[in-house]
Formats: sequence, C-alpha cells, structure tokens
Amino acid sequence: MHFSLSSLLLLGISSLVSASSLTITIPVSSSLPNPHVLPATSHATLTTLPSSGKDHILSASLTRSATFVFHDLPSSNPDAQPESYLLDICSAGGYVFAPYRVDVAADGSILGIWETFRGNPWDNRGAEKYVVGVTGKKQVDVVVEAKVLGRKVFYEQRAQFSPLSLVKNPMVLLAVVALGLMFVMPKLMDNMDPEMRAEFEQHSRSSPITGATTSAMAGGGFDLASWMAGTGAPNPTASDVTQAGSTGRDTSGPARRRG
Amino acid sequence: MWLQAALFFAACLSPAAAIYSDEVDHIDFHHALLGTPSPDSTFFLKPFTSSNASLIYTISDKLLVGAVNPRDGALVWRQNISRSADSPAHGAGLLRGLDGNDAVVAAVDNYIASWSAQDGKLGWEHRVSEGVVGDLELLELEDATATSGVRDTIAVVASEGNGIVKRLDGNTGKTVWEYKDASGDIPFQVSSSSTEVFYISLHSAMLKGFKIKVTVLDPLTGRQTRHQILNSEADVATPESVLYVGANSASPIIVWADKSQKSLKVNVIGTKEVTSIAIDNTSGSGIRQITVHAPHKLNALPHFLVHFETEAGAWAEVYHVDLVSAKVTKAYRLPYLSGQSAVAVSVIDANVYFTRVTDLEAVVVSSASHGILGRWDLQKPSSDIALHSVSEVVAKGKSVAVRTALFRKYGDWQLIRNGQIEWTRHEGLIDTVAATWAETDAQEDLAHELEVEGHETLYGAYLHRVKRHVRDLEHLPDWLKDLPKRILSSILTDEVSNLDSFGLAKSVIVATKSGRVYALDTGNHGAVSWGIQAVETSDWNVKAMLTSPGVVTIYSDDGGSVTVDVSTGEIVSRIEPSTSKLHSIAVFEIQDGSSLATVGVREDGTPVAAFANEDGFLVTTSIDGRVLGWAAKDNKTPVWEFVPPSGQKVVEATARPAHDPVASIGRVLGNRSVLYKYLNPNLALVTAVNEQTHTASFYLLDGVSGNVIHASTQAGVDSTQPIASAMSENWFAYSFWGDVDGSESSAKGYQLVISELYESPLPNDRGLLDSATNYSSTAILPLPYVISQAFMIPESISHMAVTQTRQGITTRQLLCTLPSSNSIVGIPRPVLDPRRPVDRDPTAAEAEEGLFRYAPYLDFDGKWYLSHTRDVAGINAVLSRPTLLESTSLIFAYGSDIFGTRATPSQAFDILGKSFSKLQLVLTVVALGAGVAVLAPMTRKKQVNALWRA
Repeated sequence: MHFSLSSLLLLGISSLVSASSLTITIPVSSSLPNPHVLPATSHATLTTLPSSGKDHILSASLTRSATFVFHDLPSSNPDAQPESYLLDICSAGGYVFAPYRVDVAADGSILGIWETFRGNPWDNRGAEKYVVGVTGKKQVDVVVEAKVLGRKVFYEQRAQFSPLSLVKNPMVLLAVVALGLMFVMPKLMDNMDPEMRAEFEQHSRSSPITGATTSAMAGGGFDLASWMAGTGAPNPTASDVTQAGSTGRDTSGPARRRG
Repeated sequence: MWLQAALFFAACLSPAAAIYSDEVDHIDFHHALLGTPSPDSTFFLKPFTSSNASLIYTISDKLLVGAVNPRDGALVWRQNISRSADSPAHGAGLLRGLDGNDAVVAAVDNYIASWSAQDGKLGWEHRVSEGVVGDLELLELEDATATSGVRDTIAVVASEGNGIVKRLDGNTGKTVWEYKDASGDIPFQVSSSSTEVFYISLHSAMLKGFKIKVTVLDPLTGRQTRHQILNSEADVATPESVLYVGANSASPIIVWADKSQKSLKVNVIGTKEVTSIAIDNTSGSGIRQITVHAPHKLNALPHFLVHFETEAGAWAEVYHVDLVSAKVTKAYRLPYLSGQSAVAVSVIDANVYFTRVTDLEAVVVSSASHGILGRWDLQKPSSDIALHSVSEVVAKGKSVAVRTALFRKYGDWQLIRNGQIEWTRHEGLIDTVAATWAETDAQEDLAHELEVEGHETLYGAYLHRVKRHVRDLEHLPDWLKDLPKRILSSILTDEVSNLDSFGLAKSVIVATKSGRVYALDTGNHGAVSWGIQAVETSDWNVKAMLTSPGVVTIYSDDGGSVTVDVSTGEIVSRIEPSTSKLHSIAVFEIQDGSSLATVGVREDGTPVAAFANEDGFLVTTSIDGRVLGWAAKDNKTPVWEFVPPSGQKVVEATARPAHDPVASIGRVLGNRSVLYKYLNPNLALVTAVNEQTHTASFYLLDGVSGNVIHASTQAGVDSTQPIASAMSENWFAYSFWGDVDGSESSAKGYQLVISELYESPLPNDRGLLDSATNYSSTAILPLPYVISQAFMIPESISHMAVTQTRQGITTRQLLCTLPSSNSIVGIPRPVLDPRRPVDRDPTAAEAEEGLFRYAPYLDFDGKWYLSHTRDVAGINAVLSRPTLLESTSLIFAYGSDIFGTRATPSQAFDILGKSFSKLQLVLTVVALGAGVAVLAPMTRKKQVNALWRA
C-alpha cells in the first residue's frame, strides 16, 4: 500500500511529459523483507544496441519509496522499428533481480514487458508482466513489479572453535575410548565372577595384540621396533605375532634392528 | 530457476577463495573519494530534524554529491549526477540543504534532483527542457502549503537570453509557478527573505558594465511585485565582479567592490540604498581576494563577515545590518595575520559565530562582539594552502567547541576539532591516472655484496663473507631484545605471522592528473606516506611509470619525466619536456637485463628513437588505427603493418603481462595424455570495431612477424560500451555487449568470450615443432589450435586483468571491473574453461580434469567479489603483483576510488590463516603434557606391581 501510494505520487511527475514512463516497484519478498534497506547506489538500467541517435542506455536511481522510475522513454520518428530493451536491476547489497525484456514502440510507449532468461534466445520470453491491450489503448505510465531472486553471499564462513568439534575429532574419540578401556576394564574384571575371568584371560592370551601389550607390561624388555619390523623373538607370544603379522617382509633381522 | 541452478553450480565448483568477514579492512583497503568539494556547496547539516549529529554535504568538481560523517571522515552516501545531465561539461554543480529539510537538492546543467539527506536515495528529478540551471535556493519561509520537513526549491534557469525562475514543489519536484524574464538581462542569482523571493539579473548598461537588477516576486504566485535597478555599472564589469548574494536571511545582501578595491558596496536586497564602506587596507599589499561569509538562516542575526586576502596575509571585518533602516555598520575587525587563513560561519539558534583557521591557530568569535570565545593552537601547522572551510560550533555555557572541515590546495580535506586534526581525506587521489608498485632498495645492498663476492678470488670472497657475517652480528642484540615481544605478540594477535616480509606490504606510487605523486602503503590500509607536487600542471598525461630499486620515474606524453625517491618523495631528477607529443611509451629491458629503459612512440606510431635492445621488437598502434611492428635500430620503416579491414577501427591492443610465468607447458587430460599449450611470448591481441555494422573483430598477432594467428568477429556489438580484453599464458578473454543479430546471435546481453590456444588438437602431439628448442616467428609455422567458448554475464566489464603469482602455479583469476555495480570480481579460470562439455554431462575422465557441464549463463558468485560489499566506483585500471608467497597476489585498483586487496585464487595454502588457533595448539600441548604427567606414575606403579606378581 505504501509503495503504490508513493509510486502514484511519482507517476504524477511524469504525466507532464508526453512520452510514457516506466516505474518498477520492489515487492516485499522472503529474501528482501524490507525493500527500503536497498543501498542508495542501486539502480536500474535499460540497455539496447545504439540506433539512430536514441539513448541506448537509460539509468534510474533508487527513489525514497524504493522504486525505479524511467521518465520519458526515448521516442523517434513514428515509422521507426520498435526497440527492445534489456532491463537490469543492480544492487550493491548483493540482491539479485530477474532481468526483464521491455519493448518500446517508436513513439516511446511501452508495448510489453516480460521476464527473460540470460543465456537463452531473446525471443524466449518468460512470464508476462505487462502487455499493451488488443484495443491499442496505450497506457502512458506502466508500473511493474521487480522480481527478487535471492541474495549473494560475499563472505566465507570461518569454522568456529567449539569444544564439541574437538570431541567429534576421531583422534580424540580414539583416545577417549582407549582411556576408558584402561580405567574401566580392570574394574570390570574385578567384578566378573572367577570362571568368566579365567575364560577371558584365556581369550586375551590367544589374541595377539593384547598378548603383546600384556607381555610388554609384564616383561618390560619388549622391543617394539623389532616387533613392528616383524623380526626377533623376545618371547614366545611375540614370535606368534611375527608369524601372524608379517607378510613377506624382509626378515633378515640384524640389518633393520635398531637395538 | 536458471539462476538458482547456476548459483548452485558455481558454489559447488569454485575453489572458494572468498574473503572472510573478519579479514575485511585487514587485507583490503578502500578510499571512497568525492573530489574537490565546491566552496559554496559544502555545508554541515542535520540529516533529519530530530537528528543530534550533523553530516558534511558537498558536491565536488567530479559532480559527485556526497555526505561525509564528520566524526571519522567516512562516506555515508554518494551519488554521481554527471551522467544524469545532458551535457555536464557546463561548469560546476550546485548543492543546497536547509535545516528542517530532510533532503538536499543538487543541480547540474539542466538537471535538478533532490536526494534524501539521510541515505542518499532519490526524492525527485526535474529536467529543465531548455537552458542551464544558474542558481538554486531552498525556500525557508513557511507558508500555508508547506509541510514540515519539506522545503520548496527556487531555481534560476538561463536559456537563450531569457531568465526563468521556477518554484519546484519539495515533495514531487513539480513546477509550482514559473516567472519568465524576457528582458534579455543575464540571469544571475536567486535569493529570498522571510516574505519575498528575489530574482537578481545583470542588466547591461549603456556603455559598459552591468547594472544589478532585483526583481521582487511573490513567493506564492510568482508574480512580480516590484523591481529595483542598482547603479553598479562602474564597478561590475563581469558577473564575477559581484562578490556575494545572500539568501534565506532576514535581510539578504548583495556585495560588490569597486574596481580599485578601495571600497565595498553593500545593498540590502529589496531596498534601493547602496552603502559604501571604505576598505581599510593596512597590510601594504594589494588585496587578492575578498570573500563574504553570512548566515543562511532566516532567524539568524543579520551580521556578516568580509574576509580580505593579500599575498602575504589576511584580515576580516564584521558588519551588522540594521533590520529597520537597512543600514550597514562596521562592528569589529579580526586582525591582520600573515599567512593563510580560512573563515567559516555557523549559526546556533539566532547567534552567528565565525571560525577563523590560520596557519597556527583556530579562533571562534561571536558576530556580536570581538571577544574570542575559543582559541586552539594547531598541533601540526600545514604548509599546504587552505582554500575554504566549513565549520560547526557547539556552545556549552560560556565555552565553545568547534569542528572545521578545511579543504587544502593540494587536495586534502581535513577536519580540525578544537585544533586537533581528526581525519584527512586525500581527495586529490581521485585524479589518479597511473600507478605502479614501488621497489625498495633494502635488498639492494645484499645483492651488491654478493656480487662483490662473486667477482673476487676464492680466498678473498671467503674473507669478505666472514667479515659480512661478523658485521651482521651487530644486529643480534636488537634481534634478541625483540624476540620475547615477537613471540608474545604472535600468540596474542589474530594474524599468525607478520607477512610484511613476504612482500605483502608494498608501497604503491600513484600519479594524478593534477601533477601530484602520492605513495600509498598497502600494508597500512593504503595510508598516504607522502604526497608531492611533481609538476605544476592541471593535465598531467602520464604515459608510463618505471620503478627501479629506490626510485620511480614518471614519463608524461610531452616527453618529460620526473624521478622520485620512493621512500621520501624527494624529486631526484627531472627531464624537461620536449616538443613532440607522445602517443605512448614502451618499456623494455636493456641488453644486460638489469634495468629498464623506455622509448616514446609518436601519434603516428613511429618510435622517437631507435631503441637499444638488439633482439627486441616493438609493436605500436597509431592514432589512425594501424598496428605497426618495428625491429631494433630502425625507427623509420616498420617491419610490418597491420591495417584492419575498411570501416574497422583499432580500439585496443593487449599483450601478455611482463611477468607471466607458466608452471606447466601442457595440460594433463583425464586419460593421462597431454594437450600442449601454445606459448608464444610475442602475442598481441588487437580489438577493432566497426561502428556502422556493429561488429567487433579480435585479431591475435605475432608481434615479430605480424602474422595473424587467429581472428574472430562478433556481430551485434555495441562499440560505445566498453570492450575489455586480457591475455595470459595460452589464453585470452574479451567481453562486450552483444545484441540479437540475425543468424549470428539470438541473445541480448553482455558476453564474455574465452579462447585457449594449444599446439595441436591431438593430445601428446606437439605438431610440426615437436621438441624443437628454437624456432623463428618469421618461418611458416602451423597455426595454433584454438578452443573458444562464450558465456552470458550479468553486467558489463570495463577492464580486465589477470592475477599474477610468483611461479604461476596458483590458479589464475580473471579480474574484471564491473562499472555497473561498482565492484571488482575475480573469476576463477577453471570456471571459464572452454573445454567444458556442452549439452552433456562430463565423462569420468573429464570430471577428473575438473570439467563440468557448460551453462551459457555465467553468474558471478558472491564469493568471487574481491570488493565484497564495498562500493568501488570509477575504476579504470587494476594492477596485480606477485608476492613472495605463491598463493597470494596483491591487487590495486585506481581511477576514481582507490582500492587494494590480496587475492588468493587457490586459497592461502602457504600461510596459516586466522582459523589456525595458536591458543588451541598450546592448550592441546598442555593437555597432553598433563595427561602424561598423570598417567606416567600410574603405569610405573602398574609395571612394578606386575613384576612383583610375576
């Protein structure tokens, strides 16, 4: 309501001149809830190929009522061809508007306004915004609504540091699980009934890694480097590991052993 | 839908080298400039009635209307009205504002527009059908029709010997009434008092000179009520002889001086009497300039100040006007002081205050008495001449505070608050015509020492080096002293490390049309390090700027040059201009490759002198649209000449940048085969247009032989719109407005065309040359295989450049200046790949190469905008420069605004950015340490227990 009122007011000015005027209003939309936030540098342009001394680039600034008004559209001698303009709206705030096709007759009256698609043939017109009536009765002042397509995002979002992201880190998760096992397992073992415990111990002895760790804990003289390299046999369990883990590695031990 | 799809595509694929919002103002800087503010159209004004703070409004010589925040000098809004007028060449613009009006009204040529004072949005526009707007006033008087916050405008239009006075409605800009004066007098000015509107014209006297004619109009109807003719013909010889016409005052005045500047004539407009006041010139030298300062407010006291300037000093006198008898009496005098002084008037309620700023101090006096209300010593006296000023006085009880916006001769606009300089806007930078990166000579010493070592004997060189290293030890204590500070600050500040040593803090030397040279520090928000007047001229046509370590040499089209020290701004040497006018200046390396030299090119395309580089060649364009090729040592006859087909005019020629490293000579395809790039260092891209048939042709020439390597013609091109082109490596790009043109093109809009050159269409094939190490441009060579693709783009591109990095490994960006949205966009090269599959999805091999489906419409992703939300207006050229960091390229744009930033087209892969948290790292290490400290005793205990148990 507010817009239509002020645009009517603006239309009043243009009625002084003979040629017709074009007013583009900006509707309230989800991506642009308040058209008054558009910066003052926003402007609309009508562009075409220059021909016979007519203005081929017209520009209109954003008005206080958030409209763009093209006063007297250029006219030439009546038998000239109608001109077809591309209407662009350029806004500094990153708002993107749909381009329109504006056809202007030789006498400066508007024949029709359609949505158009960039990268498509010019004859491929989209939704009709205004078209002159079949009766030929020409409207002097045409008001159309712009179409806001979206808003450009200029900035990259920086990843925020949060403790949660730290917890989500797989390395941290692994560490937490390992810690948990370390503290909780002995407690669990204590609470187990003796039979199950014995069974479990039997199991863990046959499992190579736990076996290795327990032997490392127990013996202290475990050589991790040689174990990793798959050489040497500090104790029977470790040599089991060698058999199980090494896959065709060079087993000529002394050369790789680091002591 | 199309757009969304395109946006989605772009967002998925671009390597997203966008700016983080916390890097704004850190890596980039922007000087939003207005130009020289017009002396009588600059003022402090409250943007709306209930506002507490006021803004400074001005219209500049570049016809930019703008509002500046007096607190920090930031631009609140600006509008360029030069394009709105039919022929803006007609002199200066006018800007008027009034307290209680929420809009400012600007006029230029035949165009009057009202802009919202708060945000610069258009209120109304009015185009005068004939004539030029001569003067403009806002009508302060209240009448029944007036609504609060809106004031009507009175304008004088001069058209064909007739004067037209118009009253325009404050809301709509519609004409309320019009008064036509067909007497043939020269329309001069308009003025108003609380009850009447005055139209002042100059009536030619019988013999010579002008009589001032005042026509009194009824403000409601515009009818003439009476008129007066003042006998001023003996004194007023030209319209400029009238010193002042007041307006919006209880008793507006006209002031002029007699020819010998012995007495001042003052007339209260609307009365017949002319008061003559003798000028009491005690300074002993002639008066250079007289200016009158009077309040523009109806309820202000009718006092005014006349400021007299001589060559050496200035004084001022204050006069009072009697409202009843219209008598003018002298009140007091501000004493003669040597040096510069600028006076401004300000009004609080009805009281009038005058602020005088001299070289050493700022003084505020009331118009009623000569007692000094406030005096401040200026902290930094400036040698730069103060041209004009505006000020705002705030009274607090007995004391006053004042802020003065002072415009200086060399283009600095300063705000002085109580004697302190609050900010300086370097408006002189708006005229920048050329810029270059400065080379400091810091590394020069070391290079010299190393050279010495290279030339000595082994033993001598060794001694030299040992001595040098011992000498370097003297810096050790300083370095050690700084070490704790550096470590501490590097943890506390957001930037991980100070990158200045990687060539990110370079100085840029800019030369302006007005003959000034400035140095801007890109490492320090583009602050001006120094500014000098290199040449006394108003039209310095700089053709080339050449840097060598420590100095920069600026060549102009008259053959003269100035060499300036880059660190101090001292003029080192100067070559006086020669007579011949140069079309351009070519820069080349002289034989030993250590330094650069220049050769001038005349307008007909011939070099002024034979140039010294024996292997060199030169491609020149002449003013009549030919392209000429020259060999060394012969500046008489060109080796080759390229003339475009008849009807075509050469408009532009581009070549590969001087620094254009190629990281890979081929392009690896998805199936591991290689397409070899056609890399010819001698290429030139020539743009020629035919205005009649609306075609543009692009010719790729070999600079040595003049052979046309590739040519393409585009139809439906608007040659009046910018056609930008750029070239790098093995590709070139250009953009234009393309229209529907029969069978050639069925689209209407801006287009961007990219072409890539390869040695052969077949992968793993290098054509005839194969792996030849040498080849000659003059031999008959196979033509390159060219792949081109066109994209529709949303807006026009006025200038193109390519990012440069040290090794050329980083992806390049095509830097495009968008004049319509006042921004600079860096389009990543992979997006502009002409090998993108058309009308089908990419195959697995193509997807591996990074190719994706071609879409005719290329929308500029928001993340490509190097200028993000800044309004970077009027850019003519963009410079790019490699840094020591491969990822980073420095960008500097100039023309009207000045803008500088860093571009990281493949993201900052070799620097730890802000997202790298040092605190987090330290905390992690501490946490791990704590963990070890806790766990170690536990494990030890466990081991011991295990041993006991065993």
